[in-house]
Amino acid sequence: MTSKSAPAADYAGVPLPEVQILTNRLLSAETTERVLNALDVIPNIRQINMTGESLPKTINSGPGKGLPNNHSERKVIHVGGQEVELRYLVGGFYIELDVEDEETMDKRLEEIKEACDATIEHGYTLQVGRYSKYKPTLHDYRSE
Amino acid sequence: MAAYKRQFYPGSTTPAKNRRRYMDPKVKLKKLRDVSMDDVVRIMGHRNPGEDYKSIHPPIEEGKEPDCPIRKLVTPIEGAKHGDRIRYIQFTDSVYFAPISPYQRAWMYLSRYRGIDTGTLSGRQIIEVRERDLEVLAKEYIDNETFDPALTGIRGATVHGHACRLDEHGLMFDAWQRYVWDDEKKEVVYVKDQVAIPLDRRISVGKPAAMSDLKKRTTIFRADGVDMRDDKEVTMYGLRIHKLRTLGGYQPWKVKGE
Repeated sequence: MTSKSAPAADYAGVPLPEVQILTNRLLSAETTERVLNALDVIPNIRQINMTGESLPKTINSGPGKGLPNNHSERKVIHVGGQEVELRYLVGGFYIELDVEDEETMDKRLEEIKEACDATIEHGYTLQVGRYSKYKPTLHDYRSE
Repeated sequence: MAAYKRQFYPGSTTPAKNRRRYMDPKVKLKKLRDVSMDDVVRIMGHRNPGEDYKSIHPPIEEGKEPDCPIRKLVTPIEGAKHGDRIRYIQFTDSVYFAPISPYQRAWMYLSRYRGIDTGTLSGRQIIEVRERDLEVLAKEYIDNETFDPALTGIRGATVHGHACRLDEHGLMFDAWQRYVWDDEKKEVVYVKDQVAIPLDRRISVGKPAAMSDLKKRTTIFRADGVDMRDDKEVTMYGLRIHKLRTLGGYQPWKVKGE
């Protein structure tokens, strides 16, 4: 999931294209799993980061503070044989593509659209750009 | 001189008309569902159903009230008579065409009730009243048309969600999942009380309304619904208040004649 500063994979060092998918509705864990598995088979994907609304593990304030939250969508999902612990109700995907020419990028983009159309029921918006950093900044040296 | 006729809100569009309806104490709001009083008490979580009301002072009749003309003038509400504690209920209203929004809740409450204290925040509206009066009021506002099971939340704390996208069932986001979607009955069911302490039974608050119906019932102006700018009278009213406030702030002599 989204970390504070460093991405799941190492910085590419060059601004590779990133596909931003924002869903019209927040997705359940089940749908998130389906989307990720549909994306997983597409080649040239370097990493996928997700954003959404945070689901706390325990009740974090009020008289019930400390009680387990037991949110049905906060669970472990299985993506491409790997376990991913969901801590968010997912509403966005950032897919970094490791492509060198526009032709490949367009091809992958089509595949991503197909995967999303098949799995995201309530629609989404898709844009290509660069939405996160691709090389270390001062912050990364500071937090070492 | 003709008697002053109370006015509520300008405008001729649906949200403006709805605002007037909700604020006018003469209008009886439509009852859409019937959640039992015990269940309302359970959702609020201030006391167990059947339990006595805790009091903070002896009943007014028993106590020696100081001799005060104002006290003689004001009829106390039931809870105040009995010396009840002040408790609260807090509603969160989604920006996606919830039947009402927090600011209009304040207008509505203050226009319709006495003995209440209400506070407005961007996405939620708290209302504080003596306990037994609160329960009557809470039931009324869970049962009537200002409440929608999917787009109105009963949340005492961690209210975040009014401006979030809805989930796949069309429910407003709640990090504490106080209510869930019952796929068999197609209803919204409360499983936690307003501060997320698990309830010992599931409390159904009924089926959410269709979006087409909500767009007719809402008080919310939205660019993808009724744009506030399309209602000339509402726009001019807003601009006038803005102008008067600005002038009042730095050139109050110019307000003369406005």
